[in-house]
Amino acid sequence: MDKIENVSALKSCLIDANPNALMVIDFRGNVLEVNQKLLSLFQIKKNKLRHSNLNDFFDEPDFIKNHREIFLKKNKSEIHTTLKLKNQTFAIVLISVPFKNDQGKVAGAVIQFKYPTISDTNYTFNPEDNISSNLKNQYMDLSMQEISSRYARSLIEASLDPLFTISLEGKITDFNNASMEVTGLNRLALINTDFKTYFTEPNEAQKVYQQIFENGFVDAYPLVIKDHKLTAVLLNGSVYKNDKGLVIGAVVVARDITTQNKIEKELIEAKVFAEKATKTAEDAKLKAEAAALIAEDAVKSKQQFLSNMSHEIRTPMNAIIGFTKIVLKTHLDKKQLEYIEAIKISGYALIVLINDILDLAKVDSGKMVFEKAPFKMSFSIAAMLHLFETKIQEKNLTLIRKYDEVIPEILIGDPTRLHQIILNLMSNAVKFTNKGNITISIDMIAESKKDVTIEFAISDTGIGIAENKITSIFENFQQATTGTSRIYGGTGLGLAIVKKLIESQDGSIQVHSVLGEGSTFSFRLKFQKTNENVEAILPFFQKDEQIKGLKILVVEDIPLNQLLMKTLLDDFGFKSEIAVNGKIAIEKVKKNKYDIILMDLQMPEMNGFDATKFIRNELKSKIPIIALTADVTTMDLAKCKLVGMNDYLAKPVDEQLLYRKIVGLLKNPTSSLIPKNTLIAENKKKCINLNYLMTRTKSNPLLMSEMISLYLEQTPPLISSMKESFVAKDWKTLQMVVHKMIPSFSIMGIDNQIEEMAKSIKNFAEEQFLMNDIENMVYQIESVCLQAFDELNEELKLIQLN
Amino acid sequence: MKTNQQTVFLVDDDAVFLKLLAIDFQMQTNFKVLTFETGEKCIENLQLQPDLIILDYHLDGVEKGVMNGIETLDKIKDFNTTIPVIMLSSQDKIEVAIDCMHHKAHDYIVKSETAFLKLQNNIQSIFNFKQVEKKLNWYMDRM
Repeated sequence: MDKIENVSALKSCLIDANPNALMVIDFRGNVLEVNQKLLSLFQIKKNKLRHSNLNDFFDEPDFIKNHREIFLKKNKSEIHTTLKLKNQTFAIVLISVPFKNDQGKVAGAVIQFKYPTISDTNYTFNPEDNISSNLKNQYMDLSMQEISSRYARSLIEASLDPLFTISLEGKITDFNNASMEVTGLNRLALINTDFKTYFTEPNEAQKVYQQIFENGFVDAYPLVIKDHKLTAVLLNGSVYKNDKGLVIGAVVVARDITTQNKIEKELIEAKVFAEKATKTAEDAKLKAEAAALIAEDAVKSKQQFLSNMSHEIRTPMNAIIGFTKIVLKTHLDKKQLEYIEAIKISGYALIVLINDILDLAKVDSGKMVFEKAPFKMSFSIAAMLHLFETKIQEKNLTLIRKYDEVIPEILIGDPTRLHQIILNLMSNAVKFTNKGNITISIDMIAESKKDVTIEFAISDTGIGIAENKITSIFENFQQATTGTSRIYGGTGLGLAIVKKLIESQDGSIQVHSVLGEGSTFSFRLKFQKTNENVEAILPFFQKDEQIKGLKILVVEDIPLNQLLMKTLLDDFGFKSEIAVNGKIAIEKVKKNKYDIILMDLQMPEMNGFDATKFIRNELKSKIPIIALTADVTTMDLAKCKLVGMNDYLAKPVDEQLLYRKIVGLLKNPTSSLIPKNTLIAENKKKCINLNYLMTRTKSNPLLMSEMISLYLEQTPPLISSMKESFVAKDWKTLQMVVHKMIPSFSIMGIDNQIEEMAKSIKNFAEEQFLMNDIENMVYQIESVCLQAFDELNEELKLIQLN
Repeated sequence: MKTNQQTVFLVDDDAVFLKLLAIDFQMQTNFKVLTFETGEKCIENLQLQPDLIILDYHLDGVEKGVMNGIETLDKIKDFNTTIPVIMLSSQDKIEVAIDCMHHKAHDYIVKSETAFLKLQNNIQSIFNFKQVEKKLNWYMDRM
């Protein structure tokens, strides 16, 4: 075997064979020996390296001095540091193994340069670990520079956003694939070109990198790339520095916001569209509301006009008919009798029409008042049917009556309105039937403790109604055929009134008809039961022979009406005196004794209300007083009751009714406007409605009772100061007090009408006009509130019980 | 929010309406509700630092010689001009509304069944406004 002579060459060969970068240094750090791997890593010539010092490769001055202890330890050691080569820096791990001289002192060290693992810089080299040694080998096979750049490169290329690095002058120095895609240029065409030229606004683009170099970064700067589709982007960028901390360029990332912009744009469009749609809808709603208002106003003014006109016509008609009747009682020859009879009939026809119109207007405006009076149903119907006897005989028809005997003899309801309904239906039946019979049947179909439901049916064998006309016959001024009125006459108001009268009393009407065979009109109404004594109710009209020579005071300002009343009363055999206004009436009552007073409401000097109040309060007289009123509304009635009147009569005065009321009052002087107090409580509509309060408090009983108690505490003093200030004509206080009362009406669900009244009082108190009505309203509010107190107290008890 | 509850003052001489409003606030909002029947009592309690005041215009309705709504409003604004005040009245007169606005009320609402709803919307807008204002101040500080 050849002896190997050249040990040094062998050693050098040995370290060259090592795949790791190795360096041998003396204890001062001077380089003694390196291997090939190290040369390729450092990219330096061997002879240059031989005279250098390890310090030269590190940023830290006196690297060796600082690390000597570790370096020259007796054992193997590791140092993590940064290696600097040609202006580039690498993280590096140095593994040093010291060697000793002949004296056993550490003379130097062999240093292995190891690239640290990427995830863990504290990675410690372990030769036994196969995976890490493989990894190490892999890394060390490549130059460290290559590895680091490859890793970084892959990160950069993985980005979908275009990424540029630019120099201080704004030249593109590097970029990723995404950049080439977006600009549509290849690597060669892109490199070293001006960054700003790729944007639609080069000046803005220049500002971007100027800002980056000024501030160190830029955040979300919007620009548009000049590619084939003008991609909108947001630029983010920051500077990068060399190892000396000097800025040498900038990295810029362009984020494509096309989709984002598109979505945003769509959103804005959708929003604008939605706003437009809302506006259109609102406009439409406003228009509809305005139209509804106009329509409502039109209906109201129509009703007002009709009602006013009818009223104006009725007053003179009153006198015409009255005097016609009087003339009829004088001696007339045959011709004269005929003519006067004609006037009377025409007059009645006109009055009926006017009353119809007034009734319609009243029902429509909710002013129709339904009486609650005890009456004998069978008697009442029989008396009314008498009216048709002549007509039926003339036409040679047969009248069939069916009356259910189980119907209680006396019921409570509005006989006048019931007459009106049956009268209308009967006259239609008679009018449209030329042959055969008319059947009226009255049956009780339901009965409870408190009330009975009665069905009235009127059938004829007349002309009938076509099926398609059945609904329209109930409309105003409608008849089944346009020719009907020419042949049969009539205004077409009858059925409209019938329907409204029935429905206003919570009843219903039905029609069955076959054209040419006949029709059946049937309706159902509820009547309350009563225990009232039969004797207390006067027959429909029957002169009472016991009552004679009554002395009656008629308070009336219009001479014609004075005369008419006088004639009527003379006819009854009563004595009468006239007073032209309330004042004179009071004087007369003071001096003379009367059995009854008929009191007109509207008069000069002193009106009927004031006069009655005076008679009741000052004269302490209980003389029966009947109000005479031209137009009965809810308001008037309440007021009549309030000032202490016993009854009322609507003008034109029905002579039978007048007689009945006079005699009734004299027989039963305690009876007042509404028959009995017990009945009132039962029949009176509740004036409060706690629904609103319940929704607001979610029916919490504690809150409810708190609210009600507060109301009951607060309102009575307000009511009394309202009255006091009204009497004292202290308008300012009145205004304030009423103002304070207003919100509570709607809270307690008191009718809107009352709130409107309160508002009118307030307005009046501010401007002081319309004296008459205000007084009425003050009393109405008082009475409603008093009723409300009772009802609320009841509710409060109920709530507290539960 | 529970710990940082906001306080609202309700001031109205109409005890019934006041109670109803208080009920609404208690049931439907997170506010701490304090009610006063006169402007004087409201002023006395301003040191409790309400976040919002709802004030009736007609405080001197029945009782004589007490502060009216506008006087109370002025006193509140003297104390702290940033407390938002919403005026409430059953008057729907434009002059009244303008009067209130001239005295730096935040808004003017007519008493009705929907008053509370309107109030809620209004309160929402006040707090939105306050938040925006706060943000703006924050940014201004940093500029």
